[in-house]
Amino acid sequence: MSFAGKILRVDLTNRKINKYDADLAKDYIGGFGLCAKLACDLIKSEVTPLSPLNPLIIGAGALVGTNAPATSRIYAFTKLPANGAIGWGGGGGVTFACNLKFAGYDAVIIEGKADRPVFIRIEGDDIDICDAEDIWGLGINETCEKIWEECGEGGILAVGQAGENLVRFSMVYIDRLSTVGRGGIGAVMGSKNLKALFVRGSGSVEVKDRKRFDKAVKELLERMKSYPYLKEWQELGLLKSLPAIPRDVYLKLRKRRIACVSCPIGDKDVLELDGGEIYTTSAVNLMTPAVMGMNYKDAMRLTAKLDDYGMDMFEFLGILSFARELSEKGKLELDGEIDFTSLDSMLFWAKKIAFREGTGDLLANGFAEMEKKFGVKPKSVVKGMRAYATPKGPLIWNLFGTMELGQILDPRGPHVAAGGSPTYFAKRPPESFRKHLARMGIPDEKIGEILSGGIKIGKLLCYSHIWFTVLASLGICARAQINRFYSADICAELYSAATGIEMSKNQLLDKAREIWRMLKLANFRAGFTREDDLPPEDWFDDGFRDYVTGEPLTKEDVERMMDEYYREMGLGEFMRG
Amino acid sequence: MRCVLVCSYTYAKKFSFSASRIKIKEYRAEFTEDCNECGKCVEQCFYGALEMVK
Repeated sequence: MSFAGKILRVDLTNRKINKYDADLAKDYIGGFGLCAKLACDLIKSEVTPLSPLNPLIIGAGALVGTNAPATSRIYAFTKLPANGAIGWGGGGGVTFACNLKFAGYDAVIIEGKADRPVFIRIEGDDIDICDAEDIWGLGINETCEKIWEECGEGGILAVGQAGENLVRFSMVYIDRLSTVGRGGIGAVMGSKNLKALFVRGSGSVEVKDRKRFDKAVKELLERMKSYPYLKEWQELGLLKSLPAIPRDVYLKLRKRRIACVSCPIGDKDVLELDGGEIYTTSAVNLMTPAVMGMNYKDAMRLTAKLDDYGMDMFEFLGILSFARELSEKGKLELDGEIDFTSLDSMLFWAKKIAFREGTGDLLANGFAEMEKKFGVKPKSVVKGMRAYATPKGPLIWNLFGTMELGQILDPRGPHVAAGGSPTYFAKRPPESFRKHLARMGIPDEKIGEILSGGIKIGKLLCYSHIWFTVLASLGICARAQINRFYSADICAELYSAATGIEMSKNQLLDKAREIWRMLKLANFRAGFTREDDLPPEDWFDDGFRDYVTGEPLTKEDVERMMDEYYREMGLGEFMRG
Repeated sequence: MRCVLVCSYTYAKKFSFSASRIKIKEYRAEFTEDCNECGKCVEQCFYGALEMVK
């Protein structure tokens, strides 16, 4: 069966390594579901995020390692330094997720704190806690290069200087091409003196019923191959939907496109600038600072530097906006000017924050700490993190869909992922969603309810979260370009064939709902109530608009959506107003 | 690297990097001596990076 079969447990304090059977994976689908269960069981409510007692749990889904298309995702659960939520980050697993499964592990639990910088090397049963003195202090690129030089081919999860210095918005990088963010997961590794994980899998993954599995994969691949926009997606990735720079400029800069192991589309880039290479999870991300008025080459230089420090670019720009606001109010004295159009100014602040120098030390603590210290509420911040989708933010999506509601209801805080629901694409007529909602496994009568009189965003978000949980637990990429080919039926068929555990579509969806509810309730028990889910006040001052009518939205409208979501998810009794 | 996965799956009956007859090194494909040129890897490549040469 397609599970690797073991969970690896590494205690860095006592340098102890244990392995045990991953039977739990079968009860919680695998990957995201398995790690969510482990997180809810192992993360104690009194533990603070940067304590050695906060575990970091990393896992790969039930289909990871197979050739089912785009099944390479990795998820990392922990108590998040940005807000104390039991949360997670996920990323395209590049080669790491597959290597982890081939090494024999569905998940790795890392506990404790090493007495000096280390990295963990995993090669099947051969596991070492290795000295990392010579790579501590290096950026993501050099860290990866040195580990590959020392250990050979394999997958790497690493932190840069931002993670080492416990920046609350540091991230973990996968093979220097993909990110596990947000919420400061990099700082959890830093707090453990853990610079990186290296894994090489020389083993294998098998599927239980080859004939059945092959049939489902073949059909998927045929549909993908005949999709008219396939070449354009392969060529442009996210730039197709978000044209941050002209196509010809991008193509001139691009050296190579890279895909995660089983992905037929690919969306990572190697670009060439200033005679050097930039490895990036997406050219769109790389260009984002251009929205703030920076020229595109400087935007690339800045994002590449932030990536090398291992720092969340959105949060970096957000915290600087807040610092400038505090400075204008006379509440904060800055070490230098904050000019979003100047590369020098931005690099100055990136270094200050990554190394916690001067005012950078304060900014590195993130929004929650800054708010506490200055008594000023930062704009568009939810659960200690700046929302991606804001009506006046750098990315202007002022129609309120599942992505926007998801910013406040996601237990870990605001995030770019909305579970692959169709409201990613604003202004599409609601009726065009019907096919997509059916693929997500939403029953007909519920689709009718969701699409009656506009779109019931709260209800739709509930099913988006369930759909996301299915995809994430199987290890399937949730991006629109991929998830449009999958359906709940196909997921159940692939899961049953690969694992040998017969699972109907409804059983799979029920388990996924149970997993999401478990996460939301674990956070509720840890103190995250309805109050924490409320939208920021500044969202309604000439802000968000109804997804269908375009009419201005009120806070009461959003609270109604929240209630609709809680009821549909079976959380009404806990989160009632 | 879908080519690598399908090769091992076809000939070793399991998904594996090490059991594959096609290896990807520095973004280039290399073939082991066992490769019988069946073309499965070409079928799985969505990028046009591999082609059968007669």
